[in-house]
Amino acid sequence: MDSQPAGSAPLTGQAPTEGYLRDESLLKVRDLHVTFRRGHRTMEAVAGISFDVARGETLGLVGESGCGKTTTGRAILRLLPKENSGMTGSILFEGTDLGLIPNSAMRQVRRRLQMIFQDPLSSFNPRRKVWDIVGEGLVIQGVKKKEIAERVDAALNDVGMSRTMVEGRRPHQFSGGQCQRLAIARALALGPDLIVCDEPVASLDVSVQAQVINLLQEIRERKNLALIFISHDLAVVRNVSDRVAVMYMGKIVEVGEADKVYARPAHPYSRTLLEAVPMPDASIKIKPTGVASEMPSPSSPPSGCRFRTRCPRAQQICTDVEPQLRQMPQGQFAACHFPHSEPAPGVRSSPSVERSGASF
Amino acid sequence: MRGDDVAVGPFGGSPIEPGPPAPAGNGSERRSSWRSWPGTASPTVWFAFGFVALLIVGAALADWIPGLANPGIQYGKFHASPTLDMNGLFGMDPIGRSIFARCIYGARVSLTIAVFATLIGMLIGVSLGMLAGYYRGFTERVVDTYANALASLPPLLVLLALVAAVGASLGTMTVALGILGSGMYARVTKGAVISHAGREYILAARALGASDVRIMVQELLPNLVPAFTSIVPPAMAGLIIVEGSLSFLGYGIPPPAPSWGGMIASTSDVMNQFPYLLLGPMLAIVLTVYSLNTIGDYMSARINVREGQL
Amino acid sequence: MTVVSETSGRLLEVENLSCEFRSEAGIARVLHGVNLTLDKGMTLGVVGESGSGKSMLMKSILGIAPRTAKVSGRVVFDGVDLSTMQAGERRKFLGRRIGIVFQNPMTSLNPVVRVGRQIEEAGRFHFGWSKAEGRRIAIDLMADVGLPDPEECYTQYPHQFSGGMKQRIMIATALACKPDLLIADEATTALDVTVQKNILDLLANIQQERRMSMILVTHNLGIVAGRTDDTAVMYGGRIVERGPTEALFTDPRHRYTEALIGAIPRTDQPAHTELRVIPGRPPELLRPIPGCPFAPRCSVAEARCSESTPPVAYGADERHTFVCYVPVGTPNAAAAAAAGASTEVN
Repeated sequence: MDSQPAGSAPLTGQAPTEGYLRDESLLKVRDLHVTFRRGHRTMEAVAGISFDVARGETLGLVGESGCGKTTTGRAILRLLPKENSGMTGSILFEGTDLGLIPNSAMRQVRRRLQMIFQDPLSSFNPRRKVWDIVGEGLVIQGVKKKEIAERVDAALNDVGMSRTMVEGRRPHQFSGGQCQRLAIARALALGPDLIVCDEPVASLDVSVQAQVINLLQEIRERKNLALIFISHDLAVVRNVSDRVAVMYMGKIVEVGEADKVYARPAHPYSRTLLEAVPMPDASIKIKPTGVASEMPSPSSPPSGCRFRTRCPRAQQICTDVEPQLRQMPQGQFAACHFPHSEPAPGVRSSPSVERSGASF
Repeated sequence: MRGDDVAVGPFGGSPIEPGPPAPAGNGSERRSSWRSWPGTASPTVWFAFGFVALLIVGAALADWIPGLANPGIQYGKFHASPTLDMNGLFGMDPIGRSIFARCIYGARVSLTIAVFATLIGMLIGVSLGMLAGYYRGFTERVVDTYANALASLPPLLVLLALVAAVGASLGTMTVALGILGSGMYARVTKGAVISHAGREYILAARALGASDVRIMVQELLPNLVPAFTSIVPPAMAGLIIVEGSLSFLGYGIPPPAPSWGGMIASTSDVMNQFPYLLLGPMLAIVLTVYSLNTIGDYMSARINVREGQL
Repeated sequence: MTVVSETSGRLLEVENLSCEFRSEAGIARVLHGVNLTLDKGMTLGVVGESGSGKSMLMKSILGIAPRTAKVSGRVVFDGVDLSTMQAGERRKFLGRRIGIVFQNPMTSLNPVVRVGRQIEEAGRFHFGWSKAEGRRIAIDLMADVGLPDPEECYTQYPHQFSGGMKQRIMIATALACKPDLLIADEATTALDVTVQKNILDLLANIQQERRMSMILVTHNLGIVAGRTDDTAVMYGGRIVERGPTEALFTDPRHRYTEALIGAIPRTDQPAHTELRVIPGRPPELLRPIPGCPFAPRCSVAEARCSESTPPVAYGADERHTFVCYVPVGTPNAAAAAAAGASTEVN
C-alpha cells in the first residue's frame, strides 16, 4: 500500500501519496474500492480512495453526482446493500477494521459512529412516533428504559427541541428543518464520536439551512465531534469544514486544509467547481462561456486521469499515466500532472457581504 | 418565541391540534359537508360501519337477544309472508323457521370464515411476502412461485374438491380459504416491502444497529397497513360470496346449521311461489358485501389522504 | 383579443394578481395582489423560498394554475389583455409566445415519446409544420442547445439522456415556437453545479441571440446575482422588494432580503463563519396574517408591521421598490437584537 506511484515523474519532487495521511486519526480509510453489480455489468463507484479524519475535525467530502461521495459515506457505516455491492480496502475506526468484524461487534461500534441523511422526512418511519424513533438507537443498544428517556431528552435539548414539542407526534407533523434537527438528535442520543452527514441541508430552504448549519457547528464544538460532511454545495462545505477532499468519478482529486484548497485550488476540476458556484454578489457580471462537455459515463471511465476529457490542460501524459496525489507548493495534495498555483477564480469580500454581516 | 409553535405538515396542512386562534377572522372555511372529498365520512360510510358493527354484535350475542326465535325449530306457518314484527320480518322458510333469526345465526358462519380465513391468509402471506421482499433473490423466486401457483387455482373448484374429499366443516373451510388467499397477501406484502426497503429510514435503522428481524417487524410491518386497509375488506367480502356460493351448491356447512347460501338454496324450488323468501339471505349478503367494500374504500382513502401530506 | 396599449418596450404587465386554493382544511392564499412588469429584452430574477408563491405566480400568468385555484387580477402580454380571453384561447396565445422550462426534466418529458417529436410538437401545432420541416427545425434546435450529435438524438427516448441533457431538450422544446419570453422555473435546481452553470450560460447565450426576455425563478440568490437585470424577492405570496439586481444586492432594503443575503454561506468566507439566522419558518398559507408576512420572523418588527400592509417605498433608484415599515438603514430600529446566530427552533 505504500508503494511509490509507478511511471509518473513527480514534477515537483514532493512527498509521496501517503503524505497527507496521519497516523493518529479517529477514522482511517485506506484504498477503499466499492463496486456495484447490475445484472452482468459492474460499476466502480469508489475507485481507491484514502483519507482520514481526526477527532473533533470536520472533513468536507465534496463533488457532483456520481463521484462516489455518498457511497463512501455508506461504506464507512457498512450500509451498502449486500446483494449487489462489493467493497475492498480498510476502514479503521479507533484501530478496529470495520470491514472485518462481525455484525454483533459492528453494533457496538455504531454507538460511536452515526449518520444523518439527506431527506429529513424520508429518513423517518412515517408510521412511528418521533419520540420512539429518536430513542431507537438506545433501545437497540439495550439501554435501560429510564436512561433512554433521559438521554433522548438531553439529545432533544441539544438540538433546541423539547419533549413536549415532540411527544405523541409523527414525522409528517414537523417541518423539514425540524425533522433534520430530530435526525441530529437521533444520532446524538448514542453519544457518537463521529457523524457522517450526507447532504444534510440540501433539501432545506436557505433560511432553515443556516439554522441547521449553525446548530451542527455548535454541537460539534461542544462535544468535540468529528464530522464527515458530504455535499455538492461548495459554499456550505466551505463554511463547515476544516479539511476538504474533492472527489471526481470515484477518486479523490484534491485534499487538504479547506483554507488552502479554497484559496488556491490546484486541480483543474476543483477550479471548475469553484467557478461554477453561483455567488450572491451582483458586482460580478457572469460572462457566459461556450458549450462545455458533460461527465463521461461512470461505468467506463477514461484511461489515465479521469478528468482529462473535460480538462483544458490535458496532454498525452494525462491519457497514459494516472496522476497520483502529490503535495502542492500551496500545501494541499492534488492528483494532477499540470496543477494550478494561482488564487481561486472569483471574488474577494464585497460590500454586500459586509453590510449584511453587520448588526443594526 | 415569535411565531407559531404549532407543528403542521410541511405544506401547511391542517394542524393536528388547534393552534393559537387566527388573528384575522378572514373566513377560514370549514370543510363543507356536502363536498365529496375522498375520505369524508358520508352517510353511506356511517351506514356501512354501523351495519357491520351491528352484524358482529348480533351474531356474537344472538343467544341473548331478547325475543329472538330459535332458528332450528318451527316458529310460524310454512312460507309465511313477511310481517312487521322482528321474527317475522323476512317471513318463514319452508319449514316455518324464522328467516330473520336464521339470518342472524347464519352471520356467524359467514363472519367466522371471513375473519379467520383472512387472518390465516395474512399470517402466512405477510410472513412470506416480507421475507421475499427483504431478502430478494432466491427467497423471492420461491415465494413468487408459491403465489403464482395459488393464483392459478380457481378457489371454488378447489373447495368443491376438498369438500368432496374430506367433508365440509367450518374448520376445514376456513383453513382452506385462508391458504388460498395467502398468495395475494404475499404478493401485496412483497410489493410494499420492496418499495419501502430502499428508503432512507430503513437505512437509518440499519445505521443504528437494528437487526433484520427488528427492521422487518418494527419498521416495515407498520408501513404495510395502508396497502392492506384497502384490500382486506373487499377480500373479506369475497370470502362471504364464496361461502355463500358453496352453501348454495350444497357443499357448504351442512344443514341444519343456518348459512346464508344454504338458505337461498333451500328456497330455490319454491322461489316462484314465494319469492319473498329470498329477501332475508340476499339482503344479508348484499348489505354485508356492500358495507365491507365501502369500508375498504373509505379506509384506503383516509390513509392515502394522510400519506398525501407526507 | 383587445389591444390595450401601445407596446412600447413593455412585454409583460401583471396587476394585482391573486390566487387562492380551496383545500380540505380551508382557503389557502398563495398570491396576494402581485404587481410585476417586464420590458422587452430584459432578464428578471424572481427569488423566493418554498411557499413564497413564485411558481404559482408563473403558472397564474400563463393560465396553467390547477383547476381548483381561483386566480384574479390582470395580466397584459405585449399589449394584449389576457383576462378577456377564454382559457383555451389564452393557452393557445401564450403557448406560442412564452416558453417555460420546469425543474424536473424527468417528469417534464414524456418517457414513451421520442425526444425529437416532443420538441417539434408545439411547432407543428401552432404553425402547422410538415414532418420534414419539423424534423429539420428540431435538429437545428438541438444543436443550438449543445446536444452532441443531434441527428442521433432525434430518435432517442428521454431515459437515454442525463439530467443536464434532458434539461437542454426541455429548453429546445421551449424555444421551438420562437417565444418572446422564456421562463426558467427552478430549471437548474436538480442539476449538478457545473451542469447548472452550463445550462445558465446556454440560456444567456440564447437570450442574446434571439433577443428574448427571460424570467429566472429560483430560490438561489447566487443564480440571479450575476445574470439578471432586475430581481424581485417574494415572500408569503407577495413581492417584498424589487429593483435592479445590483441595487438589491448592494443596498437591500426589505428586512427579508437583507436576512436572506446574510444567511447564505459563501466560498470566500472563512470556515466556521456564523451564518445570519432567520428564526421561525415560512408562513402558513392557510392562516394569512394582516400586515407584512415577514413580521413574525423579523428582528426589528414593530407593532404596525403586523397590523397593516406597508406602503410602497422607493430606494435610491426609482425602479427599486419595497414594502417595509422599518427598512434597512432606518435609524434606531429598536428590537435590533441578533444579527447574529440563534439556534431557535424553526
